[in-house]
Order: sequence, then C-alpha cells, then structure tokens
Amino acid sequence: MTFSSQQRRWSWLGGVAIALFVLLLSRVWFLQAVTQEETEQVIRAVQSRVVKLIPERGRIFDVNGRVIADNKRVLIAAIDRRIIAAPQDRLEMFERLSGPLNTPIERLYDRYEDKRYNQLTELPLAFDISEEQAAFILERIEDYPGVVIKEEWRRIYPYGALASHVVGFLGAIQKDTAAYYKSLGYDPNERVGLYGVELTYEVDLRGIPGFVRYEVDAVGRIKGVLERVESQPGRDLQLSIDLELQQFAEQALETQLLLRQRNEAPRMMLPGGIPDPQYEEVNYYKAPAGSVVVLNHRTGEVVAMASYPRFDTRWFTANVDSDKFAQVFPQTDDPDRSILVNRAISGRYNLGSSFKPFVGYAALNSGQLPGGADYTFDDRGTYRLVSIPKDRCDQGVKCVFRNAICRSTGAPCQYGKVNMESALAVSSDTFFYKIGEQILTERGYEPVLEREVRRFGFGSPTNIDLPFEFAGTIPNSAYKKYLASIGAIAEDAGRSYYVGDNVLFSIGQGLLSATPIQQVNAYAAIANGGTVFEPRVVRAVLSPGTRNRVSGLADLRTASVVRRVAQEADRRKIPMSPEVREPLIDGLRRVITGPGVDFDYYHKTTGENLFRNYTGVPIAGKTGTAQGFQNLPWNDSSAFGAFSLDGRTPYSVFAYLEKSGYGAVAAAPVAKCIFLALSGKWRMDDVIPADPLDTASTVAAAPSKLRNPLCLVSSALDARD
Amino acid sequence: MSISFRVRPRPTDPRGSASVLDPWRNIDWSLILTTFMLTIIGVFNIFSTTSPRLVLRGVDAYYFTQRQVIFLIAAAFAMFAVMFVGHDWMRSKAMWLYVPTTFSLLILFLWSYTSGETKLSFDLGVIAVQPAEIMKPVLGLVLAAWFAEAGGRVLPYDEFVRAMVLTGIPFVLILLQPDLGSAMTLAIGALGVFLMAGTQRRHFVGIFILTVLSFFASIWSGLVRDYQLNRFTALWNQNNTSDASLQSLVLQVRYAKRAVAAGGYFGKGYLQGDLTNGRFIPVQSTDFPFSAIGEQFGLVGCAIVIALFGFVLFRVWLVGRNANSPFGKFIAAGVFATLAWQVFQNIGMTLGITPVSGLPLPFISYGGSHLVAWGVMIGLVQSVEMRRSA
Repeated sequence: MTFSSQQRRWSWLGGVAIALFVLLLSRVWFLQAVTQEETEQVIRAVQSRVVKLIPERGRIFDVNGRVIADNKRVLIAAIDRRIIAAPQDRLEMFERLSGPLNTPIERLYDRYEDKRYNQLTELPLAFDISEEQAAFILERIEDYPGVVIKEEWRRIYPYGALASHVVGFLGAIQKDTAAYYKSLGYDPNERVGLYGVELTYEVDLRGIPGFVRYEVDAVGRIKGVLERVESQPGRDLQLSIDLELQQFAEQALETQLLLRQRNEAPRMMLPGGIPDPQYEEVNYYKAPAGSVVVLNHRTGEVVAMASYPRFDTRWFTANVDSDKFAQVFPQTDDPDRSILVNRAISGRYNLGSSFKPFVGYAALNSGQLPGGADYTFDDRGTYRLVSIPKDRCDQGVKCVFRNAICRSTGAPCQYGKVNMESALAVSSDTFFYKIGEQILTERGYEPVLEREVRRFGFGSPTNIDLPFEFAGTIPNSAYKKYLASIGAIAEDAGRSYYVGDNVLFSIGQGLLSATPIQQVNAYAAIANGGTVFEPRVVRAVLSPGTRNRVSGLADLRTASVVRRVAQEADRRKIPMSPEVREPLIDGLRRVITGPGVDFDYYHKTTGENLFRNYTGVPIAGKTGTAQGFQNLPWNDSSAFGAFSLDGRTPYSVFAYLEKSGYGAVAAAPVAKCIFLALSGKWRMDDVIPADPLDTASTVAAAPSKLRNPLCLVSSALDARD
Repeated sequence: MSISFRVRPRPTDPRGSASVLDPWRNIDWSLILTTFMLTIIGVFNIFSTTSPRLVLRGVDAYYFTQRQVIFLIAAAFAMFAVMFVGHDWMRSKAMWLYVPTTFSLLILFLWSYTSGETKLSFDLGVIAVQPAEIMKPVLGLVLAAWFAEAGGRVLPYDEFVRAMVLTGIPFVLILLQPDLGSAMTLAIGALGVFLMAGTQRRHFVGIFILTVLSFFASIWSGLVRDYQLNRFTALWNQNNTSDASLQSLVLQVRYAKRAVAAGGYFGKGYLQGDLTNGRFIPVQSTDFPFSAIGEQFGLVGCAIVIALFGFVLFRVWLVGRNANSPFGKFIAAGVFATLAWQVFQNIGMTLGITPVSGLPLPFISYGGSHLVAWGVMIGLVQSVEMRRSA
C-alpha cells in the first residue's frame, strides 16, 4: 500500500469519527436547548413509589446442620388506611372482608386499633392466608378497593420449645432500640431479634433489603416498574449446640425438677433435735426452675444450654390475642415463675460448696497454705475465728462457724485431719473457713481471695454471645456499701467488709453470686489447665443460602464460612501450675469415686453413693447446696459442677436446680445423666420436629421428659452438701 | 485530502543526541491529561449516581466511588506498565495474551450455555472480571502484530482470511454470551486495523456481507435471545410503554433522555439532579453515566465531555498517522476506531439514537475491567508515540 493511500485512509477514519461526534453534539443540543421546558413539565407529572423488599432472614442450624430456625413465605392481606378512615366505610369493609379472610370482625377492629402496626403503611388484616383466599380477593378487587395482598417472610421454628432460650425470637422494634435500628436503615415496622442469638446476631441474620420503584401516575396507579434491586438474604448461623444433647439436657432437667417436687424436705429442727413447731410438718421442695450448661472445655463452645421453665418460640408468631398471651406468659414479680429468663446466663445464683474448688485454687495459688497441698487441718466440726478478740465474740459478734449437721450424731460433722484433697472430697467447711479468715487477716486485709477467684471470671460477664447476661457479684467493701446505699442490707452491716464476710465467701455463701455459665466456665478452666474462655453458642457465621441436604438438614459441607465465631473468641490463660491443679483434681475426683474419711466412723464423700455404679467416662466434680431464704431446708438450692477427665470427651457440666435440696440429690444426678449420655452409655431420644403448637394450651411449653429416667436415681441416703 | 498537521519537532538535547531517543521524553502529556480529566469527571459522576441508591439501602454511600478510585489506580498502573515495556515487546507476546483471553471467553460461553443464565464476567468475590473488555486491547494488539508481519503491503487474500479468523473467534464467543454491544465494538476496532493494514475494497464488501449474514443467522437460530433483539425494536418504539417486554427498555431510555433534557444549558448543579437523585435511571453508573452528566451540568458539561473525547481521539489519530512503523500505526488505528465507536454508541443510547447495550462509556463508567482495558490501550498508543524516533 502506498503512503498516500494510507494517508487517505487515515483521513477517512477521522472523517467518520467527526461525523459521529457532530451527530452526538447536535442531538445533545436538541434535547437540552429545544426540549428542556417541555421535559421539565413531564417530569413534574411523574411520580414514583418505592416498595422495600425485605430479605430472607438467615437460618439457624445446630452443630450438625439441623435447621432450628427457618423461613416460610406467607401471604398477607392488608388495606390502605385511607380507605377505612371513616367509621362507616370501616364497618362496611370489615363486614365484607371478614368472610373471605375467615377472621371475625372484632379481630379486624382489634388490629385496626393495635398500636403495634405502623400507622403510615397498610394495615395488615390477616396473616398467612391461603392462595385461594388471595385469589378470591384479587379476582374481585373492585369490591375491595385499597386491599393488597403482600408476600412476607415468616420465621418458623420446627423444634418449638427446644433450645428456645438460646435461639430466641423476633418481635417489633422496641422503643429503646428504635434509634439504633433506624441508624442501620431499618423500617419502624420491621421485626428484629429480641432474645437469644436472634438478637445477638441480628445484623448478620438480617441481610440487605432491596426495593422496587414503580412509576405511578398522578392518581397513584402503577404504570410500570422503574427499577428493581433484589434483596440479599441474611447470613446463616451454625450453633455449637448439639440438638440431641440439648434435648436430653432439657429432658433430664425437667424430669428431675418434677421428681424433686414430690420429695419432702427435712424438717426444721430446734436445738436438741426437736422439730420446730413453727413450720408445717411436711414441706415439699418447690423445685420451680433450674439450668444445665454443657461446655466443651477445649474450645469454649457451649454444647447444650438448658433453662427451665421453657417456652415455645412459636407463641410469638402464632398471632394469639393479648389475653391469651398474658395467660401463657403471665406478668409476674415472682422470680421462680418468670419464663423469659435464660437462667444459664441470667440466674443470680448462690453457689454453696460448688464454689470451693476456686477457694482451694486461691489458697494454693497465693501460697496461703504452708506446705500447699500437704497442709493438714484438724476438723472438729467447728471453727472459731482467731482474729477477733474473745470479748467481742462475747458481745455477739459471730465468731464460731459450724460444719453441716451429720444425721447420725445430730451434731456438726467431724472429719479429723483433712488436707485440700480430702477437704474437697467430704466438703469440710471448717477447712475452708480457716482459709477464708487467714487469707484476709494474714495478708494485711488485702482482697486476695477476690483477686484469685476473679481470674476465673467471677464477678464479671463471660461475654457469651447471648443477651441479658448477669455479671455476678463478689463480696467486697464496695459492693457492701452499694447494697447499704440502696437499702438491701442494714447500713451498719454495709459499713465495712468484715472477716465474717470473707469466711462465708470461702464456702460460696453470703453475698457471692454467679451464673451457671460462669461456673461451668470456671470448672472448664481447671479441666483444661488454665484457659478461661469467652464462651460461644455460635460456631460459625455462614454465607447466605446454605443448601439443604435433605429437608430440615442443612448441608454444612458445602456451606462457606464467613466468620469462625467460637474459634476467634477471646480466651486468656490464668496461672495453673501442676502443684495447684493436681490436688484440686484429686479432690474433685475423690468426690465422685471416694473414699471418704474415717474419723469415729466412715464419712462418705458427697458423690460416692450417687456415682457408685456409674459407668461413664471418668469425671471429677463438686456438689454444692446453696442456702436460701431463712436457711429453711426446702429453700436449699442444689448445685453440681463437673468435668470429664478423658481427653476424648472434653466436656464440663454445671447444673443448678433451684429450691430442690442438696447438691448430691438434685443437680448431680442431672449431670450424671449427661455424662452417661456423652459416654454413649445412655440412649438419647432422636430429635424430631415438634408437634404443631396447641394454641388452646395454657402453658408456655409442652412437657418434655426423659423416656428412661433411671439415670437420675441415686442411692444417696446420707447426702450432705 | 491534503490537510497536514504539524508534527511536534523532537526536542534536541544540547548535551548530545542520546536523550532524543529516550522514550520517556516523548510522552504525549496532553493525552494523559485529558484522559485523566475524563476519569476524574467519571469518579464524581459515579458518586452522584450511586450514593442515592446506597443511602436508600442503608449502606456506605462511598462504596462504589471508592472502588472506582481503586480501579483507576490499577488502570494507571496498567498504562504505565505498558508504556514501560513498550508495544514492540508486547508484539512478541501478543499470542500469549490472545489465547488465554479467548479461552476464558469460551469458558464463560460454555458456562452460560449449560446453566442457561447469562454470564458476562468471572466473579472473583471482591471484583468481577469481564473478559470481553480485556479482549479489546488484546485483539487490537494481535491483529496489528499479524498485519505488521505482512509489512504494510496490499493485503493478500490468505493473510486477510487468517486475520478474519483471529477476529471471528472472540467476536462470535462474545456475540453468543450474548453481548451484542461488546461484540460490535470489538468488530469495529478490528475494522480500524483492517482498514489501515491495506485491506482490499472487495474484502471489505465480504466483511460487510458476513456481518449481515451472521447477524441474521444468530437471530434466526435463537442464539441471540429475545431481549437482545428487543433493544433494536425498542429503538423504533420509544413511545410504546404498553408492550411489557419493551416497557423497561423504553422507560430506561426515556428517563435517560429526560435527565439529559432537564439539564438545559447549564445543568441543575452537582448532586442536584432530580432524576439522578430519584434513582429513576437503572444501571446509571455503568450504562447511562452521560445522563447524569447531562442533568447536572447541562449542555456546557456535555459539550466539554464530548470535546475531551474528541481531543483524545485527535491525539490518538495524530500518533497513528505519524507513527513510523506499521505495527504502531495499526495499534493506533484499532484504539481510535474502538474509542470512537464506543463513545458514540454509549452516548447515543443515552440520547435515544442507538440501541441499548450494556456498553460502558470509556473512562467515565463504573467498572474495573473496562478502565484497565482502556489504561492498556492508552498505554499502547503512548508507547507508539514515545518510541517513534527509535
């Protein structure tokens, strides 16, 4: 090709480009200079309407993928409020709609007056109507002006009451959180998590809403879709809860509470062994509530978390009226009866002797005992404080602290020479009284005991991923001052922190309180050699849209993990040398296996009878009996903490049964059942979806009991704390 | 025609002649400056078009703007990398780029074909890579290299056919995606190279017939889906909103035109456009960015943007015309034709004079693949200019 022909082709190319650009410019000029006025007028006439598309909420699975919280598309009939603004129109429309919607007119009026529904959007008239009902109305839409059929997501909980305290439920945005949710772009009428992981993981579960923009004319008729941005579903959650064990734990807890309610408490005795005539002859245990937590002490994951009373989550979506709801969930000031409290994380519990291992730790770790684990003390049933002068004692200051009463002698038990190991095994109070006094008086009244037990997390929240956690309390002078200032204790008593306070602290009584999750976490720290977790009930946050393997079972192998929650949770190491840990473990193992101590006669350990024929993995544990109101026997609450000594089943368990009696007779059997099940020695029921909610029922959850309760049975006749 | 443009004299270095040959002294700064201005206009425009949507959904209003800035940095990096290695070096590697890009188009096609859904990009999680965009510089490079072998003679028939095959494979694969707009742009870019490489007139007639035939064949065989076809139908039915299949297309263009028209002479002002803020125009940040410019900056703004594009084209044209190697000429011709067509097509569809296609407006639309592709193309042109005296 010649040079000039090439030049010609370049010119040709440039010419075409110039032509195209001239075309563009003239078109732009035409639109903007000539048609501007006219276009402005058209734009003013056009309106648009935005309808938000609510995303599908993330689903919740148990550790094996069982779907605990799912979603269903439902049809909702709603009406434009303007149409029924006038009372006459309202009555007429409700009369016309009542039949097709199969809803009484009074119910429609209730809805109309209900303030829960957003006043600015359509009023929902009937939820979950059938396709036929929707078609009936849509075919006759001219008879039902302003009525719209909307699609919405409905949360469903196939297992009903199972794990409901962990999973939680949804509800309308509450007043105190309205501003927060608004800042996240929520509509005021959206439903949000109010309890359980539905609340803690709300942001993950929600997804991103989309919207549709309709072009509407001046009258408001939809002329076309301008834009549609689909919503993005929320992320799924994989809990660390194993639903099979969860169900078993809930059954064991409920069965044991019902059994305890049939048991007589010991009589209140006057000195000299005469029954106190002031009280009824027979008092049954009330056993109203309780909690069990199973924690994997290697990972910090909660494997089961039961709290009784239970409730069926489906009540919150059943659309029952407020009277029915009040009947099922009564407003009450009685803490025994409150249902919507997860006692595993909110229970304000006295611990009793189940706290002793941590006092033992404090004594050994701070070097309080000369000779450490070998230090022996002669337990003669009572302990007299040495730091208080005799004359003050004579003036009425409490200086003498006793062991529990031994039934065979009617006097405080005497165990003779005990060391850390045997003191834990038989739960010698005097051994710990002495620690309680001297760890204060010999350390210049520094709060050494407080400092040591705080390492385990007592007195501060564990930061588990569940809402409404109680931080627990630790007796000290600041706390006593606070209690005196609100009038909970006498002003005189609140003036200072006394030796007696520390002595009660050392056996887990007094002003000490903690939650089951704190206790199980503390036991776990002994079990795993000093790691204190931030426990988690969620193992992982998963990408949206995890598929099902079969109906009701998610395919976790194909799920993609967004965040490994449990693995990424904080954990800290506390000092736990073998010299400290081994005597504690030896003592706790001896609680289960014996032997007790011989002094005058053989004193069994507190767990010896119960675990005599136990066949599960080797465990170590500690019973506790927390004294309740006026120290009446039927107000004793039962506590038991234990952990597996077998590395293949790294589980710690804590059970607490309120007003149910001694630790060894109420709480320990529940833990025993769980360890038997974990060892594969006791059959757990299969987990099957719950029967449909019976809205005629008057209780919050249908009973769920062990099919074979024999694992609860004990031959413990002589059970002290 | 005998119009002649003054060729910028090469600066002579008083210290010696070696530096005259230093390519880095010969960068066309005016080209870099104008493209940079266009990209900056693009970034501001993206914020104005995407933030109302993001605010409505309650997420970070700067999300897309930030991403565009990151893409821009990547594109600048690509441009300088190409300028550094030079077009001559890339000539030897052209096939190494061509084969994998074509292969990725093939994978996309098979994917769409088997799954039945349209798929234009590879989703890499954070970003989505669109091979059709990458193909533009790659094909230009391959064709220029191929014709440069032929040495600038009148192109013999067998050379022509082989070049047609090289063009045809990616063209058909993109056409089948189906992405008519990108396929068309690719073909026109190739046409530019063919033209400069001395393709004979009768061969052009052949190309024309082939194009028409393949167009109708693809419609008839159903490989081009109805919604693609609707874009042509919609062009002649701009007042018809009753046809449901055309409705969204017609409304889309209608609002884009209204937005431009509403701008008037001086525009509504930045972030003051009612239709843009009201999110009336779908995919505005990628497909209809010009409507936002029109609404916010009016005729003045539109004229400036078009003039900037005109200037970029003029510089590319000059580089090509003055290049002293056939290879450089062909590269510039390809870039020139691609840019001219793509700008015309995108702005044209906003103004309702060309059919709607998902084609980005160069430098201005939101998107990483096309920005990087344009970075590479401008880099190639710069390289041709920089090494002219070599």
